Amino acid sequence: MRSAESLAGALLALALCAAGPSHAGAEAVRQEAIARLKLQMPQVPVASYGLGAAAFDLAQGEVADGAATAIVEEGRRLWQKKFRNGKSLGSCFPNGGRRIAGTFPQFDARLKKVVTLETAINQCLLLNKEPPFDPADARTMGAALAWLRAQSDGMKIAVRVASPAAEQRFESGRELFFMRTGQQNLACASCHLKSAGRVYGDSAILPAVGLAAQWPAIRGGQPVTITGRIRDCLVRMGAAPVNFSAEDFAHVEFFLAYLSNGYPVRANVSRGD
Amino acid sequence: MSPLLRSFARAAFVLAACSPPLAAHAQGIEQGREIFVRKDKGNCSACHQVPSDPEVASRATVGPALAGLRDRMPDRAALREMLFDPMRRNPEGIMPPFGRHEILQASEIERVIDYLHAIR
Repeated sequence: MRSAESLAGALLALALCAAGPSHAGAEAVRQEAIARLKLQMPQVPVASYGLGAAAFDLAQGEVADGAATAIVEEGRRLWQKKFRNGKSLGSCFPNGGRRIAGTFPQFDARLKKVVTLETAINQCLLLNKEPPFDPADARTMGAALAWLRAQSDGMKIAVRVASPAAEQRFESGRELFFMRTGQQNLACASCHLKSAGRVYGDSAILPAVGLAAQWPAIRGGQPVTITGRIRDCLVRMGAAPVNFSAEDFAHVEFFLAYLSNGYPVRANVSRGD
Repeated sequence: MSPLLRSFARAAFVLAACSPPLAAHAQGIEQGREIFVRKDKGNCSACHQVPSDPEVASRATVGPALAGLRDRMPDRAALREMLFDPMRRNPEGIMPPFGRHEILQASEIERVIDYLHAIR
């Protein structure tokens, strides 16, 4: 009996080891980032990290214009447009896509990959024998995401890293975030962690925590998705041609979204630049 | 030649002798400032303020504000090495390796040093 108890205890310990550290790893990384940012930006409340530039300077915040309304309307049209088989984008998502954005990206154990809203939209199109959207096209993918994210405005981000496989993708995103690249020899972390809150050019550098709450942002009248923003940063770092694969972008987004857990989704905030 | 005229001629000679190098140096400083602010070149003003130079309008706080650099780093070679590859001094730093990654040519780094040493 004693040996059976010992065996059960050992099995339980093994199970805890397998499940425990994986989730604790992502959460430890998030807490460490918050602790660092608190020290670095004592004047900025942690709760306002998700406000973007407005957390640092209200003048850099939102700009009232009609662009966001027009983009969301175009996104709604795309969302409701019937496929040749009579279905629509909404048919692929629970609740037609309402109140789901805060749970993306998700690690799909069946597909063994991170599924972002972008990839979910294109999976839906392909599944219904429709041509996929170009992820860089503001008029299709940008507009569809603008509408979709707007349906989750205010929803708290709750991305899960709940298995060793998911943890592995989170870790891949973390490594890419800290990887120096390009002619400027910078990493995402060089700015969004080490220099968060400081001013680059004329703008405050946003902290990594909360960074995934506000997108798309409307810049120059166009929706800029989180992938688009990461791509812009890479180009500025002099990493051209951009050396990230689609999977790399998904992993970085997964990492950033987990770091933004608890912050409300704020879609389609207009920026002046 | 009167003593006054002689003095004037001497002064004119000295000025003539000095003026090409002075002009070249002033030109170097001007070129250095341009490289300092240009986004496709040094883009240094994106990270550094230069409080004494009204031509460089910057609110940047990523790097330290630059003042009196000539007093702190009078050695051009040390400044050149720092601009070429700042990671040699500070592997954790975020200043780009302007020389090592060929962001700036050697002659452009020299002009930036001219400008940095002219900052008060």
